Amino acid sequence: MKTLRALSSLLLLSGPAVNAFAAELPVSEIVEKANHVAFYQGDDGRAETRMKIVDGNGREQVRQFTILRKDKKDGGDQNFYVYFQRPSDVKRTTFLVEKHVGGEDNRWLYLPSLDLMRRISAGDKRTSFVGSDFFYEDISGRALTEDTHVLAETNDTHYVVDNTPKDPGSVEFNNFKVWINKDTFVPEKTEYYDAQGKLYRSIEALEQKTIDGHVTTTKMKVTNHRTGGYTFSEMRFIKYDVGLPNDIFSERSLRTPPQQWLARPKK
Amino acid sequence: MKDAIVHFATQHPKRIMWLTLVLTLVVAAQIPRIHIDTDPENMLPHDQADRVIHDHIKKEFNLYDLIVVGIVNTNSADGIFNQQSLANLKTLSTGIKEIEGVINEELMSLSTVDNISQGSGNTIRFQWMMPDTGSGEIKVDAIRTAVKRLPMFENTLVSEDNQAAAIYVPIEAKELSHEISMAIQALVDQLPGSDQYHITGLPVAEDTFGIEMFKQMAISAPLAGLAIFILMWLFFRSFVLISAPMMVAMATVLITMGALIGLGYTVHIMSSMIPIFLMPIAVVDSVHILSEFAELHKPGDNVQKTIEKVVSNLFRPMLFTSITSAVGFASLAFTPIPPVQVFGLFVAFGIGLAFILTILFIPAYISLLSPERIQAMAEKHHSQTGVNLSGVLTGFHWFSAQQAKLAIVIAILLGGVSYYGIQQIEINDNPVRWFKQDHRIRVADKVLNQHFAGTYDAYLVFRRDNQQIETRFKQQLQSLAAENKAVKNIVDQFDADKESFDSQIQNLISAADNALFEAETEQDTNALEQLMSLLEQTQSETKYFLQPEALTLLQTMQDHLNQGGLVGKSNSFTDMVKTVYRELQGGDQNQYRIPETSSQTAQTVLSYQSSHRPNDLWHFVTTDYANAALWIQLKSGDNKDMSAVIEQVETFVANNPLPEGVSLEWGGLTYINVVWQEAMVQGMLDSLLGAFVMVFVVMILLFRSLVFGILAMIPLSLTIALIYGLIGLVGKDYDMPVAVLSSLTLGLSVDFAIHFLDRVRAIYDETGDWPETLKQMFDEPGVAILRNAIVIAIGFTPLLAAPLVPYITVGIFLASIMATSCIVTLILLPSIIGQIQGFIFKNSRSVQS
Repeated sequence: MKTLRALSSLLLLSGPAVNAFAAELPVSEIVEKANHVAFYQGDDGRAETRMKIVDGNGREQVRQFTILRKDKKDGGDQNFYVYFQRPSDVKRTTFLVEKHVGGEDNRWLYLPSLDLMRRISAGDKRTSFVGSDFFYEDISGRALTEDTHVLAETNDTHYVVDNTPKDPGSVEFNNFKVWINKDTFVPEKTEYYDAQGKLYRSIEALEQKTIDGHVTTTKMKVTNHRTGGYTFSEMRFIKYDVGLPNDIFSERSLRTPPQQWLARPKK
Repeated sequence: MKDAIVHFATQHPKRIMWLTLVLTLVVAAQIPRIHIDTDPENMLPHDQADRVIHDHIKKEFNLYDLIVVGIVNTNSADGIFNQQSLANLKTLSTGIKEIEGVINEELMSLSTVDNISQGSGNTIRFQWMMPDTGSGEIKVDAIRTAVKRLPMFENTLVSEDNQAAAIYVPIEAKELSHEISMAIQALVDQLPGSDQYHITGLPVAEDTFGIEMFKQMAISAPLAGLAIFILMWLFFRSFVLISAPMMVAMATVLITMGALIGLGYTVHIMSSMIPIFLMPIAVVDSVHILSEFAELHKPGDNVQKTIEKVVSNLFRPMLFTSITSAVGFASLAFTPIPPVQVFGLFVAFGIGLAFILTILFIPAYISLLSPERIQAMAEKHHSQTGVNLSGVLTGFHWFSAQQAKLAIVIAILLGGVSYYGIQQIEINDNPVRWFKQDHRIRVADKVLNQHFAGTYDAYLVFRRDNQQIETRFKQQLQSLAAENKAVKNIVDQFDADKESFDSQIQNLISAADNALFEAETEQDTNALEQLMSLLEQTQSETKYFLQPEALTLLQTMQDHLNQGGLVGKSNSFTDMVKTVYRELQGGDQNQYRIPETSSQTAQTVLSYQSSHRPNDLWHFVTTDYANAALWIQLKSGDNKDMSAVIEQVETFVANNPLPEGVSLEWGGLTYINVVWQEAMVQGMLDSLLGAFVMVFVVMILLFRSLVFGILAMIPLSLTIALIYGLIGLVGKDYDMPVAVLSSLTLGLSVDFAIHFLDRVRAIYDETGDWPETLKQMFDEPGVAILRNAIVIAIGFTPLLAAPLVPYITVGIFLASIMATSCIVTLILLPSIIGQIQGFIFKNSRSVQS
């Protein structure tokens, strides 16, 4: 990889030939890099997310939660801890996810008002994330092995990868296209198509920032083109490699939130 | 004036013919632009209050018009719970989702909904009800068990007897429903197995009605024309002679419909019947002219002179019958129902047009005939080759002369019976019943409502007014802002008028949250925390339908409605919350209850929202939790049943006053049908009374006599009473076509009376003797009246073959109206006159001008 990069930067001098060369980057590598940029930067990380869910009638709902993430293996299994702050009636509701690439994730839910902890089993990962237009899979990442990837197009700025599911019965889309930035490998736009080839859902990266040396998408929008509804998500107070201990991702911290790690980083 | 007009017509016959032809062609050229509208919602103006609310509710709760597809299996002991039926259900659901115009992700069937169940250990399972197993094998038993546990689906997606499953297909627009139902049928035709399929729902019924109506306009109206033509031929035995009225009728119909369409009006159920209403009216005047002409014309006479004399004689009664008929229909403009207004006004226009065409076209037509033809025609007429009606008339004559008192007594008795019958009238309508019993839509409707909770929807919306909370909040907000600058900065960022209260609070919370992080001093932090607590407190107060008492309110109303027997099932936010709560708590049935606090409910809802269909929630409650909708499934779409449910709710509210700030609103197609029906019944009554008074005034003016005015009103009064009395007695529902027929009755029955009384006076003036007058009356004038009655009555029998009930109704009632008003005119009027002749003819004056 490194030699490839070096080579390409050398060739940069020779003009148009670069693009021709860059296009030869195998699609598997493109998607792997993009997957890494989107879900695996740093060894761990934290972020506060504010989601504004807007329906087809323009009505808004706000959700605010903190996500803690720790990778078990780079590009492989990882753990998530999601802690709700708002609205106030769901405050302290907590999700815990042990993500297994290529297998079923382990998920737990804690509802503080009911003092109830349940393990959740879902048939698939294409369920709504807390009522927003995001799917669970958009937050935790979709295993690369689930789709066949084809480099549909390479232009000056993006690789356009067309992905077709290996098991069409498990998903609601026919295929989806991802626009991956050629320099940063940030997936900047994803479009989902139905069996008629009609676009019905899209995800766009609206703002990127470099945080702790990682290019990070900080504002995203998912649009449901069928209903006209959308969810706008803003991530703030992002920090990588904070040194999260493993025991945060345990059933115990569902009931007893790890306040120390949830607190916003000092200014 | 009138002589000049007729003279012009006889002098320039070719011009008149050409003018008529060109005018007809030009205006009729608009007809292909026809736009059919069968939406009963359009019975109400767009800005009608209930309709505005209905539209608002649909938008607010993301509700769509639904086509209901039923899969029925009565062969298997397990009903639809077998591999083949469920596989078909899944294939069909997937196929329907892809049809253009179907709201893909709102489609509801077993294969598109989620199941919540208990897994091993402490696991709660959220997954598709019919998950893809890879092998294609369906876990039939698991699905059956799951559905029985989920009250939202039981008896909605699968019938209680397991014999039927339903697919609820939401569609973008009602006018697509026929097309979509055809596409569904095409999918159904490819499915294997022995399941039966039914497609129904109000939108399909309404749209299919439009298609059938369009066919009927092309079949029934011409058939009626043909029948009239044949009957006239039986009476007159001269194609040349009877072609003229047919041409007048044709031109009248084409021009009227062309004008209606050309002016941009949609053709509604009522206006599609305009040709059928206009044809008899247009023919009647011409028949009078032709009869009189055939009678008066002797060989060798100057044709022009004769026809001018005939038209001159008949001009006044024809003008007045036209005016009274037109008044009868135009009075419909006073109903609050736009399609009925359009119908009334255009029929009135058509009547005026028919009058003008008759006095111009008929003389012109006769002027153009060769003397030989006229000669032959007159000879035929005088030789009486046509069907002879004199026997009948002799009977009428005998009866009214010899049994006058008996006739009057019978009339009074009939009036009494009618009065009783009218009391029995049941006001009711149901668009599905516009189809005959054996129509596939009626069959589907019957079958699906036998199995399921009901395919007719109504929505009862509960609204919580947060105005008081808002006012108090604003004051508190202002006082906090006055105390602290950091708070003031936040408050000033927002324009309170721009957003809903709910959004304002959410945005203020986000802003306060940001500010808290930036706060420099402890003072600011404290003030901002105070602000945050006010905001969160207010937010939770406004989320009324998360509160246990609000959920209980919905529940209590549902329990009450379920007891009435009319509501098959009702579904609410409470049902959803209780189900999810039970599953969260381990699935035990005693956990099927309302959570104890708002936040418990909120957290229950949040769990539900991590499903495949989180948006189903918003069909039952709005995102701000200030409004909730009960989805009421009725087994019957009869307006009287919907009215009974409305009454049930009113009784409930009267006995259990709603909490302060809570109010109710109705929506849904079944409810809207009730609204326009009520508007129509009252409107029709008003317009009938108005027309009655106007016609009465016109009669007094025409006869320049109060007594004759009253006499003229007798036949139509008795006819209307008898017709509606009969409707009440046979138990026929008073529906839209029946309501509109009242104006037709008024308009047509007065015609006979005018002609009769006008001739009676003229003949009495000549003879001065009542028995002689009566004898002459039952000669030519009686024949003309009876002929007209028979032509119209029998002429509409082709309508009886129509597959649409409103057309059959119109056919039957046109015949009854004609028969009744003719008999009443010919028997009752002479009977009464005979009894009071001395008084009537004391200072009689002929109508002749």
